[in-house]
Amino acid sequence: MAVTMPIDPIQSEPNRAAILHSEQIHTRTTSSVGMIIFLGSWAVMFASLFFGYGMHRTASVSWPPPGFEPLPLLVPGINTLLIILSSVFLHVAGQQFRQGNGRLSNRWLSGTILLGAVFLALQLSVWTALWQSGMTLRSGGFASYFYLLTVFHALHVIVGLGLLGWVGLMQRRVSAEIKQPVRLGLATMFWHFVGVAWVLTYTFVYVL
Amino acid sequence: MDLQPIHPEPTSFVKKYLFSTDHKVIAKQFLWTGMIFLFIGGVLAMWIRWQWGFPNQPVPAILGGALLSDSDGIIGPATYASVFTQHGLIMIFFAITPALIGCFGNFCIPLMIGARDMAFPKLNMLSYWTFLLSCILVLASFFPDMGGAAAGWTTYPPLSTNVGTPGWGQTLMVMAIFVTGSATIMGSINYVTTVIRLRAPGMTYMRMPGTVWGLWLTAILNVLFVPVLAGGAVLLLLDRLFGTEFFMAGASGNGDPILFQHLFWIFGHPEVYILILPAWGIMTDLMSFFSRKPAYWFKGSVYAMIGVTILSAVVYGHHMFLTGMSPLLGHTFMLLTLIISVPAEMLFLNWLHTMWHGSIRLTVPMLFALGSVFVFGLGGLTGIYLGTISTDIYLHDTMFVVGHFHFTMAAATFLGTFAAIYHWYPKMFGRKMNVTAGKVHFWGSVVFITLVFGGQMLVGYAGQQRRLWDPYQYTFLEHLADLNLWTSYAAFALGIFQVPFVVNFIGSMIRGPKAEANPWELGTLEWTLPSPPPNYNFAEMPKVYRGPHEYNNPEVKRVLGKDWIGQSELMPGEQEPVESSQQEAGSDREAE
Repeated sequence: MAVTMPIDPIQSEPNRAAILHSEQIHTRTTSSVGMIIFLGSWAVMFASLFFGYGMHRTASVSWPPPGFEPLPLLVPGINTLLIILSSVFLHVAGQQFRQGNGRLSNRWLSGTILLGAVFLALQLSVWTALWQSGMTLRSGGFASYFYLLTVFHALHVIVGLGLLGWVGLMQRRVSAEIKQPVRLGLATMFWHFVGVAWVLTYTFVYVL
Repeated sequence: MDLQPIHPEPTSFVKKYLFSTDHKVIAKQFLWTGMIFLFIGGVLAMWIRWQWGFPNQPVPAILGGALLSDSDGIIGPATYASVFTQHGLIMIFFAITPALIGCFGNFCIPLMIGARDMAFPKLNMLSYWTFLLSCILVLASFFPDMGGAAAGWTTYPPLSTNVGTPGWGQTLMVMAIFVTGSATIMGSINYVTTVIRLRAPGMTYMRMPGTVWGLWLTAILNVLFVPVLAGGAVLLLLDRLFGTEFFMAGASGNGDPILFQHLFWIFGHPEVYILILPAWGIMTDLMSFFSRKPAYWFKGSVYAMIGVTILSAVVYGHHMFLTGMSPLLGHTFMLLTLIISVPAEMLFLNWLHTMWHGSIRLTVPMLFALGSVFVFGLGGLTGIYLGTISTDIYLHDTMFVVGHFHFTMAAATFLGTFAAIYHWYPKMFGRKMNVTAGKVHFWGSVVFITLVFGGQMLVGYAGQQRRLWDPYQYTFLEHLADLNLWTSYAAFALGIFQVPFVVNFIGSMIRGPKAEANPWELGTLEWTLPSPPPNYNFAEMPKVYRGPHEYNNPEVKRVLGKDWIGQSELMPGEQEPVESSQQEAGSDREAE
């Protein structure tokens, strides 16, 4: 069977803009589906770590176990507010972007990144204080799980900040127009995921 | 409207064969890597069989005894522990997974659903290279001073912590598991998304071939459960490297080793179906293709596979009956486990009904598919004994378990993989394989694979524990020496019968007759393309009008004079259905 290389329809058809537009929507939907599947998969990863935490906790005679002080609530609580606020900022950035206000969108995006950075700094202070009070990785299951869940989450914050920073840099390029909504959309989904993961971590590790 | 643009063909060697984003090239990369590790895992298996057949005698040169020169070729207890650990992990994660899922998932999904490539070609490439990194970690884990990984393929703590297996061998192996898990997740995200988004117009879910169904369900299970294994591996690595206390119990900590068993089997039981579902899908298709009959109750087979997929997530406790599980939980797991045999029976009966009154063509892929059905039947039936608590208590940790899971996870999946290789070889490499060598390979494989794993079951039923270095240290096992010896002979014969395959596989690539586009006279989309397909697959996006199993339709025979019709082929005078073009437009309207 003879197959000849077909002509690229994007080059040949007159309604190039319309085709590009529909291709863009197709790509965006496809990437969103992929991202949802990835986040679903990653949620299971978080869940498996929480499963271990739950097993440890139900087996413990008291909570926190003997020899451990209760965890601080205030600073992590502020962090929870910060991360919720950052998600709101990012939402506004997306709205502004869709209305065509690229510059304003980038400002809200910068705000999001700033809030994320403050979150990390505060989290670092929490770790340092606890570490100096003698709670290290080798202090037993309680400490192991505390550091595991918070550090694992913080790594996601760092990845999320990297993604958002990259999206912000790309926004300045004119040539990035076509892919920009896809990038912003995916980074937003990831950031919201990180936010939800933190709220759950705060609830189950610090508060309850 | 064309939503998948054609990318120009890469010209440089590196872009074309190494860092390729073409799913067909990546499929071949997975296949080659998988076969190399299949060979390594196979040699390790021969060593295990040697030790059981000829305990404490030096391994002969032909089996690679020179690699054990430190101990004059004798497999000592420590080496033996490493050998069976590495054999298990390599075969599951680095041989079957890449050869069956990595290769045929990549090759078949886009071609069979009518797509130009995967949804995320670059992620696909990254998945392969991540997988290769894990392969390097495995190879590196053979060499550290204190020996390779030796905690068994299940890697249970405390054996797998620094107390049981100090040294870098085990650490590197656990790292390899984590990295290969990441690669699997990447690949599976791609498969799942591709099937959801890139089906050709008219390719409804029920018109997808069984192969795609099997691979898709496998990918879904991978996406959901490999992260759990990755989580367990992370905890284990933290325990080994940073002194955390997740698993260490007793004087050294207040962790819980049973937690690892939970995490491992939450992943590990779906893993069994991850490996067998693609084979089931391929068998469903091949039964119909080579019986020249529509697949009997194809929807039923699909529902059965979906049912198994769902059930596989809620039965993992049957691996842990002996961990002090509450009887209520134990009985729940037992009931759920036994329920799996219902959809599995549905599949079996559908295959048999498909063959019933068919004009069966015993081609090499069909033979392998039949062999796979046979050995899976043996493995499935013996699984009932292990899923039932009262019998599992006696059979747990015996060679009976080993025989059982080798029949299901090793024999059935490998015969399924071989069926797939023989079936799609003409499409992959553009040449045909030798039929006689294929049949020799088949009969040798199916007879001896049954004898090897059947022998394992027999000695297990007689009481031989699994993982024993020298079973005959126990007087009550001494009389099993002969049975073990003959099983070992069968294993060596099985190894020898892989030679015709290797010769055939490589030789046909060079000297095999050129394959036409559709050598098997089949209707699925990949056979409408030239062999091998061009890098963009479909010059014109196909439109699909019917299911994948249209064989021996009297009307088609009368009009077209052949016993099959392609999925994208219209009968003369047949109207193009309106729904297919509407569906395409509809999917984009949703997106907006």
